[in-house]
Amino acid sequence: MASGEEVIVRETRGGAGRQCGGQGVARKGGLDMKLLKLMAVVVAALAVVGTVGLAQTKIRAAFIYVGPIGDYGWSHAHNEGRLIVEKTLGIETTYVEFVPEGEVETYIDRLVAQGYNAIFTTSFGFMDGTLAAAKRYPNVIFAHCSGFKRAPNMITYMADFYQLYYLNGLMAGALTKTGKIGYVGAFPIPEVKRHISAFTIGVREVNPTAEVHVRWIYEWFNPAAAKEATEALIKDGCDVFAFTEDSPTVVQVAAEHKLPSFGHYSPMHAFSPDYCVSGQLVHWDKIYVDFLAKIQDGVYTAKNLAHVDYWWLISQAAAELGGESGLPINPKFVAALKDKIVDTKVFGKISVYDLVFARLQQMGDPGVSFDPFQGPIVDRKGVLRVPEGLWMSYDALGGQGRRRSVAGRAVEFNTGWAAASPQAAASSRSRCPGEDRCMR
Amino acid sequence: MDWQGWLVGIVGRALAFGTPLLWATLGEVYAERSGVVNLGVEGMMILGAFSAFAVAQTAGHPGVGVLVGAVVGGAAALLHAVMTVTLRANQYVSGLALTLFGLGLAGLVGRGWEGTPLRQALPPVTIPGLSEIPLLGPMLFQGQTVLTYVGLFLAVVLWLLLWKTRWGVVVRSVGESPATADALGINVFRVRYLAVVFGGTLAGIAGAYLSVAYRPAWTEGMTAGMGWIVIALAIFAGWDPLRTVGGALFFGALYHLSFRLQGLVAPELLKLMPYASAILVLALVGLRSVRRRGAPSALGLPYTRGER
Repeated sequence: MASGEEVIVRETRGGAGRQCGGQGVARKGGLDMKLLKLMAVVVAALAVVGTVGLAQTKIRAAFIYVGPIGDYGWSHAHNEGRLIVEKTLGIETTYVEFVPEGEVETYIDRLVAQGYNAIFTTSFGFMDGTLAAAKRYPNVIFAHCSGFKRAPNMITYMADFYQLYYLNGLMAGALTKTGKIGYVGAFPIPEVKRHISAFTIGVREVNPTAEVHVRWIYEWFNPAAAKEATEALIKDGCDVFAFTEDSPTVVQVAAEHKLPSFGHYSPMHAFSPDYCVSGQLVHWDKIYVDFLAKIQDGVYTAKNLAHVDYWWLISQAAAELGGESGLPINPKFVAALKDKIVDTKVFGKISVYDLVFARLQQMGDPGVSFDPFQGPIVDRKGVLRVPEGLWMSYDALGGQGRRRSVAGRAVEFNTGWAAASPQAAASSRSRCPGEDRCMR
Repeated sequence: MDWQGWLVGIVGRALAFGTPLLWATLGEVYAERSGVVNLGVEGMMILGAFSAFAVAQTAGHPGVGVLVGAVVGGAAALLHAVMTVTLRANQYVSGLALTLFGLGLAGLVGRGWEGTPLRQALPPVTIPGLSEIPLLGPMLFQGQTVLTYVGLFLAVVLWLLLWKTRWGVVVRSVGESPATADALGINVFRVRYLAVVFGGTLAGIAGAYLSVAYRPAWTEGMTAGMGWIVIALAIFAGWDPLRTVGGALFFGALYHLSFRLQGLVAPELLKLMPYASAILVLALVGLRSVRRRGAPSALGLPYTRGER
């Protein structure tokens, strides 16, 4: 226990004091001298034990969430990751929920005072507060989710879904009958736009004339808004749905109208067993366990994190395809997806069902031989953004994008579309396969 | 698209989204008519939503859930009545406390209930006969749950009760001048208790509608601020049950249109529309003379016997 070791450290100091006082006493007689020598040895031993103990200070991890853990979305998913950390690493953890973005420093102060030495802040808006705290507590390790500011004792991390949205898009394009696909979006920010773009690239790959209609709700969590946005899309003729909102509302509303949809974030298959085709699932625990285990092993300390950024995708198993874990595609849609045949450059004539798994394998492979954002990519106005043969770089994808907040200066997603060469992009993304990316 | 299809679509969605607003606002109108402001609508709604969901899920019947939601909403309002009528606490503070309490309690006991949809949701009903009327039929009498139809009917009943019966005079007089009503032998405390608890019961049903009919699932914080719209709507409707129907439908229609028109108008402007129009109407109402505005004169004031 950390507190136990602290006691040892204090005892060492106390012992040293007594040793000094003891020398004064030592002039009196030999017996005392012997006793004191013995004491000095004990003290020295304690000191050694104490220092060793200090070097391997036990991790106590604290998680700060922006929403309630009962949202069945973002904060819920982070909390699931925390529980797995407790189980697999045996680390003591705690959490605080519903923390307003401006007040994160106060909560960090309290957690540090309680002895927590690894603090995870899971909202974009916590970024500056976390950085300020990282400077104030140089011995505490911080991890900030979805941001882009780092320090020697502060990493950034994100499990991103754009590859999954692309795969969902392939299926949506094959399943639409009206040629109109609905997307309920939270905020028009780089992360969400990246996901809609990837989704649309998938849709167009199998159905070049299909349209993706987007309705914004300007909230991360609002079931009523998500419901009305879905109803509006249905009235406008959309018949397949994907979304970014922290509740299963869109899936439920689509099911009421007997229309297919894709789950988001948490397992939502149960909300629409007949119409939830697939979806995106997150496994934050992959990042949490990896990072905390490396702290335990001494790989990461409060001194060497300035260039550590976890940007984990399918190949690191932080993102999983499916409406629930272990079910990449709902069996009820397998036949329809197998019937739809498309002509591709790489695979020739192939069913959408097989194409999904072929792409999944390409992206899941540590070498990553395919990316949704590889050229040629043409934007809505017909301008060629990424030429043939090039991949978009990590930075151009808005890798340092934002989640959970629209405050501040948003880096507009499509203004930064600088394409890197496929080799450079591939190597920068898979420099250490299965490892966190080292940036700059 | 044909204009009839548009109209039917808009009114249908306005009714669906307006139903919880209608129920809760009718309740708030009665509480405020008796002179008690209850800012705890959000809290009463979320407690109603959770208890209705939990009971409906366990019992397998949505109707039972709605009843329990009503009782829980009424019980929550009873707390407010004790605080403000008997103990004469500040009505605004007590109401805010009730909202915070309700959100917290429902979130706490609701742990573990999220993540599964309701087994049996309240089904949509088509009213035979009435739904055959051209245009009006599909607009008003199709595809809504029974709570929508009952809510509309209730508004008429409550309007008659408030303006055409002795009961209504009693409630209104307590809200206008409790001392006078007291002098006339009306039990001010009892009337206020009843009005506040009745208001809470309707708010509980409004919450139950959300978790059992509108979106049959439980999620923490699922009322998402609807209770605050209700408080604005009570003023917007001039504390009148029939005008409440208009207000709820108007707000519901704007809310739906804010998503429907996104292809044509900037979504930021549309998002603003329901709220901007609420402010506009409140400002227009404010221009009228105080008496014609219709606010109960003793609204927000605790009543103490023997004081003027």
